[in-house]
Amino acid sequence: MSKKVTVLDGSERGDTEVARVRDFLLGELAWAGGEARVLDLCDLDLAYCCGCFGCWVKTPGACVVRDSGAEVAKAIIESEATLYLTRVTFGGYSSRLKRAVDRIICLGSPFFRKVDGEVHHEKRYDQYPNLIGVGLLPEPDEEAEAIFTTLVGRNAINIGSVHHAAAVLNARMTPEEMRVSLRGALARAGVTP
Amino acid sequence: MSGQSRALLLIGSGKPVHSNSESLGGYLLSCLARRGFETQTMKVPRTLRAQGGLATITEEVRQASLVILATPLYWDSLPAAVIEAMEALAEDRRSRPPQNHQRMVAIINSGFPEARQSDTALAICRRFAKETGFEWAGGLAMGTGGAVEERPLDQVGRRVRHVVRAMDLTAEALALGEKVPEAAVGLMAKPILPAWAFVLYGRWLWPRWARRFGAQRKLRDKPYAP
Repeated sequence: MSKKVTVLDGSERGDTEVARVRDFLLGELAWAGGEARVLDLCDLDLAYCCGCFGCWVKTPGACVVRDSGAEVAKAIIESEATLYLTRVTFGGYSSRLKRAVDRIICLGSPFFRKVDGEVHHEKRYDQYPNLIGVGLLPEPDEEAEAIFTTLVGRNAINIGSVHHAAAVLNARMTPEEMRVSLRGALARAGVTP
Repeated sequence: MSGQSRALLLIGSGKPVHSNSESLGGYLLSCLARRGFETQTMKVPRTLRAQGGLATITEEVRQASLVILATPLYWDSLPAAVIEAMEALAEDRRSRPPQNHQRMVAIINSGFPEARQSDTALAICRRFAKETGFEWAGGLAMGTGGAVEERPLDQVGRRVRHVVRAMDLTAEALALGEKVPEAAVGLMAKPILPAWAFVLYGRWLWPRWARRFGAQRKLRDKPYAP
């Protein structure tokens, strides 16, 4: 059965290196029978989240700002896996990707629950997509890779994903090395068997 | 006080008027002002929305000897506006390496009770400092940031007295050219509420807040349910 995967492409226009990774990724998803929906975040109108909590107390479940945020949130909750594609930026996500991520706080409930001894928000929906983070570095960098991998894992807890995986690629990798890394991440996140 | 003395507070919160980040950073800034620092404050999201905002931030940062980032935790990381400013700063510093020694401190406040939930965000700040040539002077993380109630920190009362003490210790150390002391990190991270009480507090808080907008019965709505 094909899996619906929403890809949030957090790269800037003209970033050919990330575009190359994206082509690889879409090829891998197609190979695995996945049905990918790509959102080019640089083409969307996304305001910064201002932390007003309106999406919890005024219009519960939807952001009060009327822009492309609703499209992003809807695409994520309708998918079985969500994939964040980004340049690894100080170990984290690019600002382009982060604008979108900040705006999906509406997918959670304001109420709290404990997860492995920590407090997190309760789930609003019955099911959440598994989360895959694909980051690109100019060269191997253990510290940045570790921060990125931790960040994806922490985000998975907060969004309520059952499975998650991170793949940190670098521009020095061969196509085969990239393929192996991506396939491993897709498998760990339950997108492929 | 040692060396140069211009402290710039960058506030990461997108809230239009007051914010807990502003309360925390503002208190530290006032402590530094008393120790002879020249101080300035910029709200990052608001500045970025203005024309030429990125250039304004990069110029102000360039002139500071100490940059204090006070920001809320968003998804285990920093708000997008802060990352956008960091990207611009990194680009600027690559093309025009700073001539002066500059230090950076981060103060992260999280809505969750555990301060450790800000560890990844602090790691990102530390990494930014490393990549852009700031001396990393340390980070402070606070859980239950809502306890500050967006009020001036020294007017909040007993529940944040350990936070005030952490800031006092931090200001003292920074004025001497030292890093954020471990004692301050520990005080700042001290839980304000136990986790079970925090969960119960949420059950009380959110319906009351939503009632103001007539939404108390809609709190569990699923507008995007497939």
